[in-house]
Amino acid sequence: MNVHLQEDLSKHTLRADDGIAKGADLLKVENISLSFGGVKAITDISFDIKKGEIRAIIGPNGAGKTSMLNVINGFYFPQQGTITFRGEKRRRARASETARDGIARTFQNIALFKGMSTLDNIMTGRITLQKRSLLWHALWKGPAEREEIEHREAVERIIDFLEIEHIRKTPVGRLPYGLQKRVELGRALAADPALLLLDEPMAGMNLEEKADMSRFILDVNQQYGTTIALIEHDMGVVMDLSDRVVVLDYGKKIGDGTPDEVRNNPDVIDAYLGVPH
Amino acid sequence: MFYRTAGQFKTSYSADQALFPVRQDAVLLIVILAFAWIIFPLTASEFTFQTLLIPILIYSLAALGLNILTGYAGQLSLGTGAFMGVGAYACYKMVTLMPWMNPIVAILLSGVFSAGIGVVFGIPSLRIKGFYLAIATLAAQFFLVWLFEKWAWLYNYNASGAIQVPNLDMFGVYVAGPQATSFTQYYVVLAIVSLLTWVCINLTRGRPGRTWKATRDMDIAAELIGIDLMRSKLTAFAVSSYIVGVAGALFVFMWRGAAEPNLFDIPLSFRILFIAIIGGLGSVLGNYLGAILIVGLPVVLGIVPEALGLEITSATVEHLNVMIVGGLIIFFLIIEPHGLAQLWRLIREKLIIWPFPH
Repeated sequence: MNVHLQEDLSKHTLRADDGIAKGADLLKVENISLSFGGVKAITDISFDIKKGEIRAIIGPNGAGKTSMLNVINGFYFPQQGTITFRGEKRRRARASETARDGIARTFQNIALFKGMSTLDNIMTGRITLQKRSLLWHALWKGPAEREEIEHREAVERIIDFLEIEHIRKTPVGRLPYGLQKRVELGRALAADPALLLLDEPMAGMNLEEKADMSRFILDVNQQYGTTIALIEHDMGVVMDLSDRVVVLDYGKKIGDGTPDEVRNNPDVIDAYLGVPH
Repeated sequence: MFYRTAGQFKTSYSADQALFPVRQDAVLLIVILAFAWIIFPLTASEFTFQTLLIPILIYSLAALGLNILTGYAGQLSLGTGAFMGVGAYACYKMVTLMPWMNPIVAILLSGVFSAGIGVVFGIPSLRIKGFYLAIATLAAQFFLVWLFEKWAWLYNYNASGAIQVPNLDMFGVYVAGPQATSFTQYYVVLAIVSLLTWVCINLTRGRPGRTWKATRDMDIAAELIGIDLMRSKLTAFAVSSYIVGVAGALFVFMWRGAAEPNLFDIPLSFRILFIAIIGGLGSVLGNYLGAILIVGLPVVLGIVPEALGLEITSATVEHLNVMIVGGLIIFFLIIEPHGLAQLWRLIREKLIIWPFPH
């Protein structure tokens, strides 16, 4: 993190500053159950995410981690249980509205807009913050242009932060995998989220790329104060990055606590070693 | 050499987002505009106006409208011809019901009607995608053309079932109808097409364009980052149908002079879809290149044998036209599936570093 970015951030009005004290509950998941037909993806899971922490969700393949993330960001609506975000109970709504409430995410398989440049992709992250109507945009000069420049400045700060200045105008389809992941993080950050969900941010990366990504995640958490929930399979990374870890297996919660507690939890060890139950 | 971008530094985001950030592009545009606004109208013959200049502009505009929907927002439509018809009939009803109305205002307003109809037929896009949506828009195509034929009120109970453009004047100059000159009509078309092209560039480079492209490239991701897909698709249908409707009104009022319902049938829709695809989906420039090719080629093919002194019957020329145009379409799609606009983009990339290969 360089010095000018720090002063830039002070100008930044973040949605993360929403009056919830650091360490208080930002999101509370209570007794969530989700099934697809006869397949139970999630059974009676409760946990919380506290403001300002990095919360990891881990578990073997098929444990229900991504389903859990999809429930949190409103893509699935659970059959049972409640989700409370910033003190408000979630009602059934379109997925786009959760994003407007301040939950942003990245995807396990990169979901960038292939036909657009890096800059445009990150700009799409700010679409929910752009308010000018179609008519102003048709004129361009005046309010629409001012709004575009204002958001461009915010996006350029993120581009600076993620060190991707050189690929600003490159179509994302041409970028290598590691950079695409970084652009996707940028797009999620551009929304100024109160809660950032990262679905396997380091999948398929080499050691150096993982180190970079870990650094960005920690910096986002510390400099922007963004609360992060992440799914990751690299245990070394998870244990080093996260403040608390929740462990799922076969759709059930089998462990919850600090990395050290989870590491020594016999149920978690059994799940990862594949001990039959 | 002539197309170097080195040394052109941008010092503000406004300059970086400008319409033509490269100086040479701006110069090129000024040259093209000078030709379009001054040199062509002063030198063109009646034949050039009627077979090249006016139809190229109108077809470009229609393709631009379709491109907003299909190229930018990714919603395939086969109903363009019918939406042009809505614009033409709306304009006809307005100028016959309210003869005092300014013809240009009537043409610009007629797009509002086709936008409304376009949104109605765009509603299925919320549930279905791709080829299935294309079939749904095909329903619009057949239904609307049927309506133009059966609803006699639309053509003022004319015995022929066709609409005939009346003489319309603006400040003492005839702009439409039998008395209008090609010269005036060309300027009217050029002004409207220029205006709407500028609007489309503005829409596609800002937030609306990004919203549409996000919807096109990956709709689930778009929804999860907060884009309201319903709104995005329906605004694309509205803007697209508006432009297509205005193009339809121009098509009849500024060029054809009269129209029967079957003029707006499916061949017109396909013709415009070809222009958009050959020109390049997701590009504004491409529509012009595509229209120049599709409208201009038959004219050139008709003149060349005559100029060479070859004795060919007009029927043979017609057949040759179809064969050569068809062959060229296939050729272009194989050489550059992203259209002529992409070809221009590649040439530009090469030109910037020319004479060096890398």
